[in-house]
Amino acid sequence: MLTYIVFLPLVGAAVCMFVPKQLVRGVALLTTVATFLLTLGLIGPFVGAGSADAAGLFDIFGSKYGEKMHFVQRADWIVGDNFTIEYFVGLDGLNMPLVVLTSFVSLLACLASWNFDSWKVNKGAKGYFALFLLLETGMLGTFVALDFFLFYIFWEIMLLPMYFLIGVWGGPRKEYAAIKFFLFTLAGSVLMLVGLVAMYFYSAEAVLQNPALATSYRPDVGVLTTGTFDLIELASNQAIQTYFNAENTYFLAEGIKFAPLMFMFLLIGFAVKLPSFPVHTWLPDAHVEAPTPISMILAGVLLKMGGYGFLRLCYPIFPSGGHAWAYFLAVIGVISILYGALCAMAQTDFKKLVAYSSVSHMGYVLLGVAVMTEAGVQGAMFQMIAHGISSPMCFFLVGVIYDRAHHREINRFGGLWLTMPKYGTMATIGFFASLGLPGMCGFIGELWVLLGVFAARETFDWAVPMAILAAAGVILTAGYILWLIQRVYLGPEKQEYAGYPEANGREMLILVPFAALCVLFGILPKQMLFDYTNGTLNLIVKTMATAPAKFGAMAGM
Amino acid sequence: MHSLLADLELSWYPTLTELGWFAPELALVGTIVVILVAPLILGRSALRSARIAFVGALVTLLLACNLVGQVSTGGLSGLAPEAAAGMLILDKLTILVKVIIMLFLAGVTALWVLGSSAKEEFGEEFFVLMLGSALGMSLMTSTLNLLMIAVAIEAASLPSYSIVAFDKRNRKSAEAALKYVVFGGISAAIMLYGISLIYGMYHTLNVVAIGEGLARDLAAGTNTVLIGMSLFCVLGGIMFKIAAVPFHFWCPDVFEGAKIEVTTWLSVASKAAALVLLLRLVDAFGNGALAAGESILTYNGLAWGIGILAVISCTWGNFAAYRQNNVKRLLAFSSIAHAGYMMMLGAVFTLPGSSTSGKPMAALLLYLIMYAIMNLGAFTVAAIVSWQTKSEDVSAFSGLGRRAPWLAVPMVCCLASLVGLPPFGGFIAKYWLLLALGSKSAETTLGTLYWFLIIMAVVNTLISLFFYFRIIRAMFLSDDQQPEFRPPFFGTAMANLCAVLLVLFGVVMLNGPKDLAYRYASDLYMPARYLTKQVDSSDAALVATEPTPEVGVATAGGAR
Repeated sequence: MLTYIVFLPLVGAAVCMFVPKQLVRGVALLTTVATFLLTLGLIGPFVGAGSADAAGLFDIFGSKYGEKMHFVQRADWIVGDNFTIEYFVGLDGLNMPLVVLTSFVSLLACLASWNFDSWKVNKGAKGYFALFLLLETGMLGTFVALDFFLFYIFWEIMLLPMYFLIGVWGGPRKEYAAIKFFLFTLAGSVLMLVGLVAMYFYSAEAVLQNPALATSYRPDVGVLTTGTFDLIELASNQAIQTYFNAENTYFLAEGIKFAPLMFMFLLIGFAVKLPSFPVHTWLPDAHVEAPTPISMILAGVLLKMGGYGFLRLCYPIFPSGGHAWAYFLAVIGVISILYGALCAMAQTDFKKLVAYSSVSHMGYVLLGVAVMTEAGVQGAMFQMIAHGISSPMCFFLVGVIYDRAHHREINRFGGLWLTMPKYGTMATIGFFASLGLPGMCGFIGELWVLLGVFAARETFDWAVPMAILAAAGVILTAGYILWLIQRVYLGPEKQEYAGYPEANGREMLILVPFAALCVLFGILPKQMLFDYTNGTLNLIVKTMATAPAKFGAMAGM
Repeated sequence: MHSLLADLELSWYPTLTELGWFAPELALVGTIVVILVAPLILGRSALRSARIAFVGALVTLLLACNLVGQVSTGGLSGLAPEAAAGMLILDKLTILVKVIIMLFLAGVTALWVLGSSAKEEFGEEFFVLMLGSALGMSLMTSTLNLLMIAVAIEAASLPSYSIVAFDKRNRKSAEAALKYVVFGGISAAIMLYGISLIYGMYHTLNVVAIGEGLARDLAAGTNTVLIGMSLFCVLGGIMFKIAAVPFHFWCPDVFEGAKIEVTTWLSVASKAAALVLLLRLVDAFGNGALAAGESILTYNGLAWGIGILAVISCTWGNFAAYRQNNVKRLLAFSSIAHAGYMMMLGAVFTLPGSSTSGKPMAALLLYLIMYAIMNLGAFTVAAIVSWQTKSEDVSAFSGLGRRAPWLAVPMVCCLASLVGLPPFGGFIAKYWLLLALGSKSAETTLGTLYWFLIIMAVVNTLISLFFYFRIIRAMFLSDDQQPEFRPPFFGTAMANLCAVLLVLFGVVMLNGPKDLAYRYASDLYMPARYLTKQVDSSDAALVATEPTPEVGVATAGGAR
């Protein structure tokens, strides 16, 4: 099932190359609709997961991280002389919502591309939709891959399509934006490649040193005797965990501890995608230059890969690394929140403002996972999904007005609500959701993260001041969003924009589902998301808490 | 009372079987003769000599494949008396490298037919020289004797000088050839000097025996300065062929000045042969150390030296490429960088007989296969574009995505593969290279060096992104409204074939090339004396515990 979902868009992409030009967007839409419907089927096994059984266990998630994966498919892919790289995909509460989100945003982004012919750069529709679908395959694959090598391949497969989508169909500074995006992402992922190689050899060493503990989570394997790329194995095998997180496992030279360094290698790659300060600078450029649907994908899905990577790779495999870097990461998270918000406030370009608001919002994700409490991690997850809904909506709102006005200067707008009342209403919902108004999706995520940070005050004495600073970010967010709404949508109607047509049926078709979800997630957070994810997230937190060694930070932090 | 006849019997003759082992080389020589003789009978025709060369390359390839069955554990040494064992050798490795070189030769010949056959008058001479250098390269891969190494390098170099200067009306070409000759001559002289020093110390030219002596001396701490100097001289000669920094100065000028077919040829074949030779030397030194009963760590300094030069090569190559506007120069620096990646493997010593013995060599072979494919594809597109636009600048590519999409798309695949991005073959090759480096990190104290090399290799991937993407950017992101054109069918087909192979080897058929490389990199030739040594060496335990079937064949007699 997962395999079909992942590769269906690839098939669509191939079909796109061979059908006449007029049919291409139809094929793309059909593919994304089919993919979305298929991913809805993935929710099935998770329904009812919120109610614990008599023993207080959430049976659907198992009692240990990685014990219960759904829709698992595995096959030997590359067989070496003493290792196997597998094609291994599976779902748990961590990636299921993200897979559904991906296909959902892709579908709406495909709809948003429907007016491709009226774009400024409208050559090569075949290429555009084929790359779009290839990108979707890459995104879905990254979320479902449970073998590190497979994960890395999918992670990198996303790069080339994205480069071309921004670089060919983007705005005036597209070349700069595209190569900057590529460079930053690759910079992160090459270090991940070092991690990929190092983790294999260190896991081989681990099971060699301590065969007594090396019982695999897979009954058919029994005791593990070789190194592995299996992400679940790496996180759950006691021998590997003990060796990876030991005080005296060194990398590169005596004294450089393995876990914190590897944690950092992986984290840099994910922090670039997230993006967190100080590696966020590619994001505003990429967003401003990218065409609207690509901005939607970028904000709605690609940024989530960072948060997903933290929770799938960094923390379960190197919990002691998480302890070592907790303060550092929390600081980076808070800086992202505040700095992103302040930058957003200073922008005059509509799209750049939304881009910086993403930096600010994703700061909560980093902060939430950094404190390693249940509420923090749950909040981070919720924030990812909430942002995955509200942010593409905001980008599409910008796109709608840009299609009409052909500029994005905030200060030149005004009174749009009067001109386009339906659009104005949608815009208000979207931006309020982004603001974090209670009752909207953005609120729950931020609140949960803050609660999680407070909850960590026993472990970390810096938790309370950090939470207070992060809470100040909420005020800044309210500031720039309210100011934005005031400048663009409120005020007297301007002559310049008087004749603008109301949002048409296609545009409403995109906006209404987003708006509905914004509200639904805001008022039914448990039924919409927490029930499906918390089981897995709590298990991950439990894994972190039982880290074999919790040593202090490197470099005295 | 010795009769003349008895004397003759005492002296050594090659047997027919032994000659059969070197049928590929003989076939190359035969092809050269045919190309030279054909014009005398049939009149001059450039195209005909290209055809003969093409057929000759394929025949050589088939003959090489035909030898696979005859090679046993430890390889064979032929065409030399027992005392000079290792002068010319035949093992699986030489066969595969010859196959790669011959396939590449066929590809380059096809490229030449596409681009130059119409206007070239001296086809015969050109192909005699091409095949001559191919002969030298295949000899380079099949020897463990210092003298033969020197001869083979010269045999590969001298024709190369001439084919670089082949376009004699082109000033740049002449200048490049002169630079190449001067540089090559000096390197050869230095190399011979190093060889004479080594011969003076150990009274042998056999590399394994030398490795034995070196290990003893290094362990005892005697003669270290002399050893360091002589090794530098000898390896310098090889690195000249690899074009590793600091022996690379000829490379950009030669690549720019030579015809693009020649550039293609030199960028892969001569480097491939030299890199295989380098790794074989390192391997032989490692065997020698074990034979002398010393630890492989006596060669610590050599590993660091090769590793550091490799890192400098790829870093320098990648940074210098960024400033180039000429595509051929750009790809020249790219080839310096790739040589650097591959040279990193030279820092990994292999313990003979252990399952990992094939690893660095296997990674090198895999890399060479992928590198040959992606370079052939990239150069084919570059050649077609330069013939079409009469310009070799990056700007000639602008708008190619619109003007000739069937050239631009395979070019993207080849360039992304050169960067080392999945899902292309270049990534798989680089990944196996990293694994080979990492595989020894836990066993020896050289671990720091190996992890350092791994980190530098991936950092260089990032640096290289810049300049490869300048071409991609020109092709798709900028457009100067030049007219569309129809590329020649066969050239397009070749480029697309390369791209398809890269995707296939990068995603679907990952195991095929890798298994091939592993199978052919094992059981390297070792003189019989050293084959028995390894079993009772201190590493016998390691040999015995490694659970692979391939090793089983190699060591079954002694270890189990």
